[in-house]
Amino acid sequence: MPTPTLTQSIVITLIQCLLVVIFVFVVVPLTVFAERKVLGHLQQRLGSTRVASGHVGFSGWMNRRMWKMGRVPVLSYWRGIPGLVGDVLKLILKEDIMPAKADKFVFFLAPSISMVAAIIVFAAISFVPGTFFTFPAWFPFVGGLPVSGGIADINVGLLWILGVATVGVYGIVLAGWSSNSKYPLLGGLRSAAQMVSYEVPLALSLLAPVVLSASLNFGEMSARMATGMPAWALVPQVIGFLLYLTCGFAETNRLPFDMPEAENELVAGFHTEYSGMKFGFFYLAEYINMTVVAALASAFFLGGPWLLPFGLQGLLIPASIPFIGQPHAIFFVAKIVFLLFTYIWVRGTIPRYRYDQVMAVGWKYLIPMALINLLLAAAIRCFAV
Amino acid sequence: MAEPNVPQTPEVPEAPAGPYVYDYKAAPFRQIAMPKTVPLPSRQTYLAEQKAAAEADEAKWQKTLADFETAKTKAEAEGKDAPKPPVRPVPRKDDNDLKTPVPEEAQDPDLLKLQALLGDKAEEIFEQAGELVCQVKKEAILEALALCRDEAALKYEMLADQSGTHYPAANGFAYSVVYHLTSISRRKRLRLRILVPEGFAPESACPLYPSANWMEREIYDMLGIRFANHPDMTRILCPEDWEGYPLRKDYPTVGWGQRDISFREDRGGMLERIALQKAGQLGINLKQPKAD
Amino acid sequence: MFKNEEMEINLGPQHPSTHGVLRVKLRLDGETVTHCRPMIGYLHRGVEKICENQSFFQGQVWTDRMDYCSAVANNLGWAEANEKLFGITVPRRAHYIRTLLNEFNRIASHLIWLGTHAMDIGALTVFLYAFREREDVLDINEAFCGSRLTTTAFRIGGLREDLPPGFEKMVHKFLAKFSDCLEEYENLLTENRIWKKRTVGVARLNAEDAIALGVTGPMLRAAGVAYDIRKAFPYAAYSEMDFEVPTRTEADTYARYQVRMAEMRQSARIIQQCMDGMPEGPVMAKLPKILRSEVNEVYHATESPKGEIGYYLVGEKGSLNPYRFHVRAPGFINLQSLPKMAEGGLIADVVAAIGSLDIVLGEIDR
Repeated sequence: MPTPTLTQSIVITLIQCLLVVIFVFVVVPLTVFAERKVLGHLQQRLGSTRVASGHVGFSGWMNRRMWKMGRVPVLSYWRGIPGLVGDVLKLILKEDIMPAKADKFVFFLAPSISMVAAIIVFAAISFVPGTFFTFPAWFPFVGGLPVSGGIADINVGLLWILGVATVGVYGIVLAGWSSNSKYPLLGGLRSAAQMVSYEVPLALSLLAPVVLSASLNFGEMSARMATGMPAWALVPQVIGFLLYLTCGFAETNRLPFDMPEAENELVAGFHTEYSGMKFGFFYLAEYINMTVVAALASAFFLGGPWLLPFGLQGLLIPASIPFIGQPHAIFFVAKIVFLLFTYIWVRGTIPRYRYDQVMAVGWKYLIPMALINLLLAAAIRCFAV
Repeated sequence: MAEPNVPQTPEVPEAPAGPYVYDYKAAPFRQIAMPKTVPLPSRQTYLAEQKAAAEADEAKWQKTLADFETAKTKAEAEGKDAPKPPVRPVPRKDDNDLKTPVPEEAQDPDLLKLQALLGDKAEEIFEQAGELVCQVKKEAILEALALCRDEAALKYEMLADQSGTHYPAANGFAYSVVYHLTSISRRKRLRLRILVPEGFAPESACPLYPSANWMEREIYDMLGIRFANHPDMTRILCPEDWEGYPLRKDYPTVGWGQRDISFREDRGGMLERIALQKAGQLGINLKQPKAD
Repeated sequence: MFKNEEMEINLGPQHPSTHGVLRVKLRLDGETVTHCRPMIGYLHRGVEKICENQSFFQGQVWTDRMDYCSAVANNLGWAEANEKLFGITVPRRAHYIRTLLNEFNRIASHLIWLGTHAMDIGALTVFLYAFREREDVLDINEAFCGSRLTTTAFRIGGLREDLPPGFEKMVHKFLAKFSDCLEEYENLLTENRIWKKRTVGVARLNAEDAIALGVTGPMLRAAGVAYDIRKAFPYAAYSEMDFEVPTRTEADTYARYQVRMAEMRQSARIIQQCMDGMPEGPVMAKLPKILRSEVNEVYHATESPKGEIGYYLVGEKGSLNPYRFHVRAPGFINLQSLPKMAEGGLIADVVAAIGSLDIVLGEIDR
């Protein structure tokens, strides 16, 4: 295999960045679309699952048939797309309103911080260990060169992810502050307190995999957690997964922890005064963050690109089995998709915590549990690995 | 011959110049029909009315009889046939399910008890349509309410409703204020009533029944009766700078401005144009909202 | 060194969880509410003044538009107050049909309350489930009187028309599935830990305060006072119905939720009894063509889904319209208790308290 020159590796990295950006901008609208559809089905709300362009073609014929049969045609999965397209168009075309007394620069800066912080986390996420694909030999300039499964395979990958994800809080706090309005201010303050509080159990629950795999490199951790763990390690992994998922919900401000934008108390929370594409940036950032949290959860706890979760892969399926014994990006993405579905599922099912209760859950239950889990992992690390 | 290209502008009559002050007394839609009677149910008035009606009826009958007698003697004198003797008309009985309730004498122990306790501070007690009514002196309302709430035999725990009525045709008072009390434990209702002249501020019921707070504010807002010792005597439904008290009978039912003109009859849009012109004189742009 | 300052914030008049145009002025210490003052009147249309200047019959249209979620209950109170004023005896069948429709209305109103209250607390799904069943109730309204929301269902002296053909089938279809639907909502909420955390012990209003503040309806029954006008002062056909008055003693938001859920079950029971025992006969009393009132004043209270709705009417001799038309709106009186419930709690509890009050601004501002 030829060694790439510096220019070639820069080009490859740019191509990787492009792929990641494409991935993000494909996944996010699909998540929004799925959210509408899934919530529509969960709530038996037919509008969002039925809107379509017209009554032409096969789908129109199907719909007419089903109406005639006395059924509501909600099963056609492409229904609802016009609503999504319209929503995106609305975000782009809508007038961008700025409050007269807002701090103009910070008001502009806040959504950008949120968005950038959400998206650069992907730099350290590796989708498959080793080579993702190799350019064919006829490809100009980079022909025959391998493309790795992540953009930057750095040895402090997890630290990078945690550090950068924390920057996202600034976006929300600054948005709340710069709007010069009371509801956004309350939302911003809430989110500052909440996200700082939940950073702690989130990081602690991720420390257990770090201790177990003795690494901070994303790909290495993912691989060891999936295949190299003793049976004992199952316990801290399951506990850690649940803890991490809970904290992840809080970090991404989703129900039941959507304090900063609790719409029934604070109108829309920190982004009350935002409109147009600035609001769209917050919206995008939220969904990208969801994807990131889902990616981390699936990488460290659900076996990443391997089939089985919680380290069962290494225990049950030997690597010699052709398809399911090997890592594939498709498994990774499937797990992300499942976790994203869980987000929507939870949103459709349970109510919202109160602010003080959110803090109590974080400090009184999640942090002690995460510490105990860490001790457990350390003990397994000492005696079993 | 008219030139075809010149559009014909309709004649717009000149609106009166100067500041536009609407004389609502002159406007047909703002005429207020003030009530002529005082519909204040009361056993005393009812009895007096009944008595007067019976007397009038009797007088009418006597007059008919007297007329008949004179007609009879006249006919006898003239040698004609005697006229038919008059028949006293009996009140017509309608075949319907209507039986208008009248103020009856108080039988209920609660009312009697209340009257005994209040003495001459209770002006009147009666029952009507199954409802107990006690009218007390306006200065003694707080005392009466305290009795109703605290007396073991009465125990009206809840002030369910408080309201007022404007009686512009009455002598000696202008408003009535009614208190509808409910006894949850005894399943009874009682109405206390005071008659309030213009400018008198009755005692607030808030110290006894906190629920009176908003109801008294509403009465103040709607009728203009101020309550003494009320913690927060401000308007509640109307804006703070509202003029007038809407539920008084002399308050006009048609608003200011465009409604003074009947657009229903304004087929050609003439009146609308006059309105626009008048508004223009005032500097009001009715067509487009004023830009900041 | 540090300055402690309270923040004053206006909840409303345009706010997602004030159910209309309620404005609540809050003073906050952090997130704790130290002072709460509800300010109303944004929807004031002068219903009382309008009804005083219209005939007795025309008032009903305005009662629809007061509490538009429970229009039938408002109509019932209005009709019975007028009947009391004129001294009209209503046929028994009309009483039964009125009771039936009133209970359907109670279900519809409580379903709206359930949906919006759950949505205020963040449970989005219950809202849509509740509206699904409410739709059936509205269909029943439509079958009876042609309109769904602002029903104008009754007339003074009875009903305009008898039940339409096929009505019985609709009712039975609804009753057959309704208990399952109630279970579906309860599955989502009753034992839900977050729902309980948000509602248990929140916005307490004990019995003494509730009575002193004139609070009625489910709010009062959740405080342990079994005061239901349907039982205490029976009207329509309620004296012939067998039903319970659900009460709770906890006096918090969760108790109000439980009381209202139990009331919906009782309503279904009453509807069943109305259908089973529906008497034959006319639905309209024999009345003269023109009703002219005598000098009389009545206060008639009925149990609307929100509480005691009372009509205070004063009749003038020989008049075609009421001399005074006053409505004791349950929401208006109940809303007075908001500061008592909200002060000392958190801002999220204010939302829960407003939700548990079940207010409709159309009737509060009138």
